[in-house]
Amino acid sequence: MVNKVKDILKGKIIKWEEKSSKRHYIEIDKKDLRSAAELLFRKLELRFCIATGLDNVKNMEVLYHFSDDKTGVVYSLRVFTDRDKGQIPSIADIIKGATWIEREMRELLGIEFTGAADTSRLLLDPTWPEGVYPLRKDYEYGRKEPRGEDSCRRPNIKIEELTKNGKKTKIIPIGPYHPLQEEPEFFELMVQGEKVIDLNINLGYNHRGIEKIAEGKHWDQVTFLVERICGICSCSHPYAYVNAVEDLLGLEIPLRAKYVRTVIAELERVHSHLLWLGLAGHFLGYNTVWMWAWKYRETVLDLCEQISGNRNHYAMMRIGGVRKDIFNSEIDAMKEKTASLVPIFDLFKGAVIDDPVIHARTKNIGVLSKEEAINYCVTGPTARPSGLDQDIRKIDILNGAYQLVEWDVIVCQNGDIFDKTVCRVLEMYESVKIITQCLDKLKGLKEGNIWEEVREIPPGEGIGRYEAPRGEVWHYVRSDGGNTPVRHKIRAPSYMNVLSNELAAVGGDVSDAAITLAAVDPCYCCTERMQAVENGNVKYNWEELLRLSEEKTKRLRGELR
Amino acid sequence: MNKLKILSKSIWVFHFASAACNNCDIEILDVLTPRFDVERFGVKLVGSIKHADAMLVSGMMNRKGAEFLKDLYDQAPKPLAVIAFGSCASSMGMFKVSYNRVIPVDEIIPVTAYIPGCPPRPEAIIDGVVKVVKKLRGEI
Ligand code: SF4
Repeated sequence: MVNKVKDILKGKIIKWEEKSSKRHYIEIDKKDLRSAAELLFRKLELRFCIATGLDNVKNMEVLYHFSDDKTGVVYSLRVFTDRDKGQIPSIADIIKGATWIEREMRELLGIEFTGAADTSRLLLDPTWPEGVYPLRKDYEYGRKEPRGEDSCRRPNIKIEELTKNGKKTKIIPIGPYHPLQEEPEFFELMVQGEKVIDLNINLGYNHRGIEKIAEGKHWDQVTFLVERICGICSCSHPYAYVNAVEDLLGLEIPLRAKYVRTVIAELERVHSHLLWLGLAGHFLGYNTVWMWAWKYRETVLDLCEQISGNRNHYAMMRIGGVRKDIFNSEIDAMKEKTASLVPIFDLFKGAVIDDPVIHARTKNIGVLSKEEAINYCVTGPTARPSGLDQDIRKIDILNGAYQLVEWDVIVCQNGDIFDKTVCRVLEMYESVKIITQCLDKLKGLKEGNIWEEVREIPPGEGIGRYEAPRGEVWHYVRSDGGNTPVRHKIRAPSYMNVLSNELAAVGGDVSDAAITLAAVDPCYCCTERMQAVENGNVKYNWEELLRLSEEKTKRLRGELR
Repeated sequence: MNKLKILSKSIWVFHFASAACNNCDIEILDVLTPRFDVERFGVKLVGSIKHADAMLVSGMMNRKGAEFLKDLYDQAPKPLAVIAFGSCASSMGMFKVSYNRVIPVDEIIPVTAYIPGCPPRPEAIIDGVVKVVKKLRGEI
């Protein structure tokens, strides 16, 4: 593949840097960017991961990262532009998944993307002063801007009757605040009758500026910061971050630490999938499933507590290893507890696969086809049900035990909600398989020796990835040899997955919207690092939507009898 | 008569999450589910602030959310107990240097109780609820 890339980009390459066999940085001129991106994305079918913008003070730099999902090699296209009024051609029309990141770089770094269709703000509020870019180096750490009166104004909603194709269109706002959504998030559904014809996603209600905060924290402190990006992936983010720093250092950690990392990360996957399953049940009107799933989730949390001392924020990762060891004397009891989860998964599997109502509610609903999944660059359990065989754990985690134990990647074909559910249920079995094997192996190793001492971080750059319960987490760090990262770019899986809702929800029924929007298992805390429904023609709120969804289940249940 | 006392039976709670990391919010749902089950004390999450006796605020206030918090508080029937939930809501935690921050919750609306922790353990949450009830009854 490396040669293929070299071949196809011939004549465009200014400098080819091979940091390691899995990390290639390719400098090109910005006028060649569009053609190079198209070649890599379309011809070689590499997946676009994310773009990273950097302020080098003398100029601006943007890295476009492409991943080869068969081998785990990352190719990063590097382009430079001027600091003031720098311009870079937009690639959002070639790669749909680049839409948001271009908007983000524009507002946070002040880089213009020529030819971009949408240049409105993504994360910052409307009263944020023009021309102030928080991620630039001259924006002091800890500075704050005055806030205008209507900073909460909704960006582009017009609650009035629209007419599209001669039919009346109404807008249904979902969010931003409702207790059924645990996080603030804001969708506007445009509907004609019962059909959803368009969807508008607004972000920024959860934006906390973590990338900037990381620039002022010590390398070791950043692990705790990135843990707080999201409570459910509170192991995946630190995992990806330490992977990035270890990639920079070229460090391999002790074997025991690899197993411990894998155990805690897989436990997190199980509890996250159980949580989603419970919520999905709730959205479909099966509240019993919700209560069950959350009850059994406690078992997993107990295990996490036993290992790390906390139920959620584990603080297990450190650069060079893990912070706490697993006691060999406790392993048998842990294995027993883990094994007790399997009958519970059987129960859920039976409930999902045998129930005709669940079939009727989820089969062929919210379908994301393979082509669209590629175009939107989705990852994880949103991509695998659409037939994409990609799992970062298989290909690109050096400092984990995934290559040392046996397990399978679950891939389904239809891309509908049913497949998304099945995929997650089956993944939990795989996780238990991994955990049990790791615990076995740990028993044969001596306790202690769980970290490699790291004293200094030399100048350089590193990319770390991890397969979080929702998909690929991406961390990029750059060091200048100092105590803190110069740039820390974070990309959470939902950032790519949520955008695909545009497609999955459109064309469906209003009563299916609740489950469709939930099916990607969105996590807005991650995505952004959003009640007050105003007067006007607001038809349903989330509660109403949930009621509709539950009614549909009831009706179907009646019919099926 | 102490008006607040009426609130101390079956507190209905409205949950407002503003730029939280999700963990606080999940622990709130967690205490409602079978293991901890605060519903046995009549505590229940409600969908509208108009039905609520108490408001749980979690997460740090960011620029897009702060105004909503004020609006919601104004819409709520008084008396209303406001609980700042977790380190973020109590003191802004590690986000006090964020460029997108506003001001702490207790400078926007009056706060009755703080439940510290990141995230607070379910036991701590239940303890918090008990303390709020006691405070409403005028016992502490
Ligand atoms: S207090 Fe901790 S757990 Fe709660 S929202 Fe803040 S960072 Fe997350």
